[in-house]
Amino acid sequence: MFTTKAFIKKSKIGHFLKNVREHYIRDDIFCGVPSCETCHPVESHLSSTYKNVCCLFKYNHYLILDTNVILDQMDVLDEPILENIIILHTVLKEVKHRSLPIYKRLQSIIDNPSRHFYVFTNDHHKDTYVKQDDKELINDYNDRLIRKSCSWYMKHLPGEIFVLLSNDAKNRAIALAEGIPTLTIKDYIESVKDNSVLLDKLAKKDIHVETYTKDIFPPHLSNVELLTGVKNGKLHQGTFRASKDNFLEGFVNVDSLEDPVLVQGRSGLNRAVNGDIVVVEIFDKKEWVSPSDIVLEDEGVAEEGIDEIELKERELKRSKKIKEEIKPTGKVVGIIRRKWRQYCGILQGGMDGVYQLFVPSDRSIPKIRIETRQADFLRTQKLIVTIDSWPRHSRYPHGHFVRALGKIGDQTTENEVVLLEHDVPHSQFSEEVLACLPKLPWIITEKDVKKRVDIRHLDICSVDPPGCTDIDDALHCRPIGNDGFEVGVHIADVAHFIRPGTAIDKEAASRATTVYLVNKRIDMVPELLSSNLCSLRGGEERFAFSCVWEMDANANILNTRFHKSIIKSKASFTYEEAQMTIDDKSKNDPIAMSLRGLNKLAKILKKRRLENGALVLASPEVKIHMDSETMEPLDVEVKKLFETNSMVEEFMLLANISVAEKILDEFPECAMLRRHPTPPSTNFDPLIKAGRHLGLDINVECGKNLAQSLDEATKPENPYLNTMLRILATRCMLQAVYFASGTLQKEEYYHYGLAVPLYTHFTSPIRRYADIIVHRLLAVTCGADSTYPDLLDKQKSTELCQNLNYRNRMAQYAGRASVAFNTHLFFKGKLQDEEGYVLHIRKNALQILIPKYGLECTLYLAKKGESSNIFEYNEEEQSQKAGNITLHAFDPVKVRLSLDSNNIQHEKFVLQLVSPYIEGFSVQPLGESMEVDPDKPASEKKRKSKSESHVKNKKKN
Amino acid sequence: MSKNKELISKIGLRLDGRRANELRRIRCKLGVFTEPDGSAYIEQGLTKVLAAVYGPHEVRGGRSKAQHNSAIINCQFSMAVFSTTERKKRPRGDRKSTELSMHLQQALEAAIKSELYPFCQIDVYVEVLHADGGIYPACVNAATLALIDAGIPLKEYVCACTASLANNDIPMLDISHQEEVLGGPTLTVAALPMSGKIVLMEMSQRFHLDHLDKVLEKALQGCKDIKEILDNAVRLHVTDIGSSTGWANTKH
Amino acid sequence: MSKNIQIRLASQRINTSVPGNQRYPKIFTPGQVITAQNEFMRGHGTYEENGELKASVAGVREQVNNLISIRPLKSRYNGEIGDVVVGRITEVQQKRWKVDTNSRLDSALLLSSVNLPGGELRRRSVEDEHMMRQFLQEGDLISAEVQNVYSDGSLSLHTRSLRYGKLGQGVLVKVFPSLIKRSKTHFHNLPVGASIILGNNGLIWICTSINNSEESVGGFVQNLEEVVPRQERETICRIRNCILALTQSKMMLYDTSILYAYEESLKYSVAELLIPEAMLDIAILTQQRLTMLENA
Repeated sequence: MFTTKAFIKKSKIGHFLKNVREHYIRDDIFCGVPSCETCHPVESHLSSTYKNVCCLFKYNHYLILDTNVILDQMDVLDEPILENIIILHTVLKEVKHRSLPIYKRLQSIIDNPSRHFYVFTNDHHKDTYVKQDDKELINDYNDRLIRKSCSWYMKHLPGEIFVLLSNDAKNRAIALAEGIPTLTIKDYIESVKDNSVLLDKLAKKDIHVETYTKDIFPPHLSNVELLTGVKNGKLHQGTFRASKDNFLEGFVNVDSLEDPVLVQGRSGLNRAVNGDIVVVEIFDKKEWVSPSDIVLEDEGVAEEGIDEIELKERELKRSKKIKEEIKPTGKVVGIIRRKWRQYCGILQGGMDGVYQLFVPSDRSIPKIRIETRQADFLRTQKLIVTIDSWPRHSRYPHGHFVRALGKIGDQTTENEVVLLEHDVPHSQFSEEVLACLPKLPWIITEKDVKKRVDIRHLDICSVDPPGCTDIDDALHCRPIGNDGFEVGVHIADVAHFIRPGTAIDKEAASRATTVYLVNKRIDMVPELLSSNLCSLRGGEERFAFSCVWEMDANANILNTRFHKSIIKSKASFTYEEAQMTIDDKSKNDPIAMSLRGLNKLAKILKKRRLENGALVLASPEVKIHMDSETMEPLDVEVKKLFETNSMVEEFMLLANISVAEKILDEFPECAMLRRHPTPPSTNFDPLIKAGRHLGLDINVECGKNLAQSLDEATKPENPYLNTMLRILATRCMLQAVYFASGTLQKEEYYHYGLAVPLYTHFTSPIRRYADIIVHRLLAVTCGADSTYPDLLDKQKSTELCQNLNYRNRMAQYAGRASVAFNTHLFFKGKLQDEEGYVLHIRKNALQILIPKYGLECTLYLAKKGESSNIFEYNEEEQSQKAGNITLHAFDPVKVRLSLDSNNIQHEKFVLQLVSPYIEGFSVQPLGESMEVDPDKPASEKKRKSKSESHVKNKKKN
Repeated sequence: MSKNKELISKIGLRLDGRRANELRRIRCKLGVFTEPDGSAYIEQGLTKVLAAVYGPHEVRGGRSKAQHNSAIINCQFSMAVFSTTERKKRPRGDRKSTELSMHLQQALEAAIKSELYPFCQIDVYVEVLHADGGIYPACVNAATLALIDAGIPLKEYVCACTASLANNDIPMLDISHQEEVLGGPTLTVAALPMSGKIVLMEMSQRFHLDHLDKVLEKALQGCKDIKEILDNAVRLHVTDIGSSTGWANTKH
Repeated sequence: MSKNIQIRLASQRINTSVPGNQRYPKIFTPGQVITAQNEFMRGHGTYEENGELKASVAGVREQVNNLISIRPLKSRYNGEIGDVVVGRITEVQQKRWKVDTNSRLDSALLLSSVNLPGGELRRRSVEDEHMMRQFLQEGDLISAEVQNVYSDGSLSLHTRSLRYGKLGQGVLVKVFPSLIKRSKTHFHNLPVGASIILGNNGLIWICTSINNSEESVGGFVQNLEEVVPRQERETICRIRNCILALTQSKMMLYDTSILYAYEESLKYSVAELLIPEAMLDIAILTQQRLTMLENA
């Protein structure tokens, strides 16, 4: 059935090792062309009806691609115009080796039957396999394999035409000599009908513009030089992180060094883009500088002009040299691997012609030069663009347009942008997924009742924020025995509906979490489940997973049990309603009693938890009220907190902890837990510094001490101070993450924030996939369900955790981005004076926190590039002094808030100081400011007129 | 562990071009030495094993070990120092070798009709010349051939085969070293393929019980396939000897 | 001496088989069902399982009336009474020697089954028991005849005839027992100036020609002082190499085949006889001559 051939591979792993591997060559691999009569028909997407139309060839033809075409021109292939393409297996392998993302994209096209792609396993085919010659380079060998397959196809099917597309001139020349029709992809696409879409997407890698302008960037070292440099320790490899505030600055995180390496200036960065793996050369110690504390923005418009950049470089040079804060400084000398992806953004206005500048919304990414013929249209749109190359002579990287998302400023477009930027899967649920849903009407059968504990008679109720439709937890509490209580937490039994391995399960695992945008919710599971069958609505009979404790009056757990149950929630309260029910002394129905009991126990639990060193952290969270019709934000406010919030929270924490203990006990290797790593002490530096300026001593030695110092850090004259410190403390923390228990040591399971040794997520299975896994694990422990392979696979669990962590982080960012966008929308055209607090003092600016809107904005004290002549910056004390007024961190201020819409992509808030009043800088309070001469240069910002209610930022150009 | 690598491509081919249910190429030869009573050489893919059988013979080194009702089966497994990519320090005596010797003995004891040889001893020596995954199965198969060559009565062939899970889902047969390293748990089964009895089963790692049936079935199928191949080789070998000797001493 | 060493790759090895006989009897392999009828008796190389008679070795079927057995073409020596064997003393025990005869158990040579110096009818005394090691000690080679087969399969030997006894100077070749053709006599004085003992157990002894009817050779005398002339030694080596050549091609060994092989080998030097091609050449030529002889 097959012949065999062994071939020898040499590989270097430290020293020379000879690896011998088998390579089987088969005679049962077929060409996949439908018109072929000699081959067995195989599953092939190639179609005889679809025709590639290209004016260079009279007849229908099949395309065979070289690796470089796929790597460089993936966006062209994404368009459903080129079809009937044969992908050779050797090419596929090389693509996978060179770039995994492109490989994945290619794979998805191959899997799509309507694209008519076919993978031909040429390296195992008896006629197309050739042996690598001695001394033949791997590239030449691959090219030879491709040509061999082409000629085989031509010989195999003389009636069909096969065209080889390659960007490699040498390969093309040999192919032509061998009689294989071949073209570059550019030539081919230019002769394809309706090519305008494709031409825009053509990557500009192979276009060498001969310019005589001087090179803007120093050259990169060759790969060999880089590798030897890294090996002998002269150079260092690391990940480049661009600064968001200063486009001429960035850091390189080098594994072997404690501190990241600072790189500055055009030649220092040398074309590194955020995320790239680069090699840096570190300067002598005397040349080390401190990171600049000024904010610089790339305001370049001209395509190749570098004067402006040089100006800014000088500015950067002036603004440093603080002895204590010098960091290892160096320059990027080469790039190991680009981490370019697709970027979302808009076109920069004011340019004509086919060359346009694209401004990514991610500020750590430089502007990208693209070529398009539809600039006028694209200017109104949000776009996706990808980088192709960054030659030395070009100030900006070259890229190409991928697709348009929609009109700028449109709610839906912005949501789309937020979702795309944060990699949130948000397409409709597929038919396959929907097919997994239970049929309606859904009824509880006898069988279900038998398997579950029937506690429909208990007085269970749920407490949630207003407008919540995905209720995944409900509670009950009833007195038992002498002075004991039975407390139950009932969690929606989502795992009952989502069976492992089904399409819906895979989809949920991939989405990992429900994403909440201000006016949109991206569900993890289809709505039927999230808002109906799983939601523990009042008065409905629902399946639940219950965690029931017996407690004494002091909230000590005497006994814990877990079981699947059927419940009937008596009522769904909002936090406010629940609070009212508790407070209303006249109500004495079982529900109210139950709530009161819960509240009482929760207080004890909370007290005990805080005594144990749990941190109370703060982050300004706001709620945006939306107009239900226009979908415009009506009001922004900080979320109100009731006692009942903390009541529900306490029991959820308790349930999570109990469940974590239980599943770890049963599955020491593969329990899904959540840990919050103890932050390294250096993380707390800003907090300690801030505290020292205020004369407060913040002890960060351990969680307990930190909690205590935070509690004690109050000043009567500034009631908000404590909250501010807590906000700062929150920012010192690391992210909490999911993990499989077998992958870490027991000590590392610790949850720092909650100060518990074990923690997991059990209570929100409707919106978090981790909880579903925990449910399944718990179901096994109590005999309600059986295991399945992936659940117990440590490897798979770890992979799953990585995805969950990634998605959770992204969902969080997406939520924040959405709030930010809507806050902007709310402030559009408004002008308000607000209370604020100084969060940080910078050399040329103040960071102001406005608690009412949860906003953190920058108040510039001086024009860009100039130092203020009003304010005196005191590095030591972290203060800015103007006359007899000194501003310290945490000082209360009053600021005027307005929105600068000059840059439609990055609308930003503009602040003006109202109080304390500083002559020549502050503005009058809003009521009085009407009388102020509009042209009076109060600051660098200038109000244009009264009728035009927004403030424009004066810009230099 | 596994780098999430696809062991079976979408087209259904493994890294070396085999399909999931295909064995590697097996080549074998009986009677490669003249000194031992029986000997054999087998290649399964690139795994190459020599086996030699001495006996049954008088128990050497202390009669006390002799059993009155059956023969002692003594196995020794060794790996040539050059058999792996990195040179081994010692060819035998390490824990892995000792374990494999014992496993080999266990598999062979199940097949040899040792009750026919009281007070005797049968020595089986196997030497791995090149290791490329599936060492134990190759040793068992080589030992079987050597035993047959030595004319020692067996209940039937004892064959061994490995199977694993590709992409944690598809069972696949006869795992090469590359797949062993990249892939997940490997199930090794030694069986009497004709009666379907399993004489030894070993797993390199855990996997979920649900997978066991299909993987085990694959491995058993592999044992049967191997038995066919070995049987052919044996018949060829016997025919070869027979026609050379002119079937002499044969009364029929 | 070392310049003539040949090492070759496995892939360059030659196929040594010399198919002479084209009739192929049915071959049974272990586990194969011989018959499902149960009126047969199971002989060697078979076993019964689930009412079926199965083979336990790879070989050919032999049937004597109702007794079915499978005979492997290669196995340890299974002794039969009257067989001539060559063996090596492994142990000296009370009143008997243990002899390794390539059988599955060591054979016994009782003190009472040997001819002691001083006449057949001599009484065995206690002194003889003490003297045993002086007659035969560990490592000595003997030729003997199978006197009896014990129930556990071990053999009892005797050296009562003067043909048997301790072996002196010569060369021992070990082949598979099944390659030795059973014949009336296993002692051959080859006309080329050497004599051989073709032990049924696969051990072949080659030595200088035994002077006819010098019957006193049997016994326990071993003359290691006597120098064997070079020519005779070469002859012995040539015979040895011829036997190896025939063994390599798995041809039956008996006086005619060895003699033919010897004659065919004369075109090679003794050392050349170790080259596989030469060995095969001799085997083929011998085979041809034997076939001619058979057909004549």
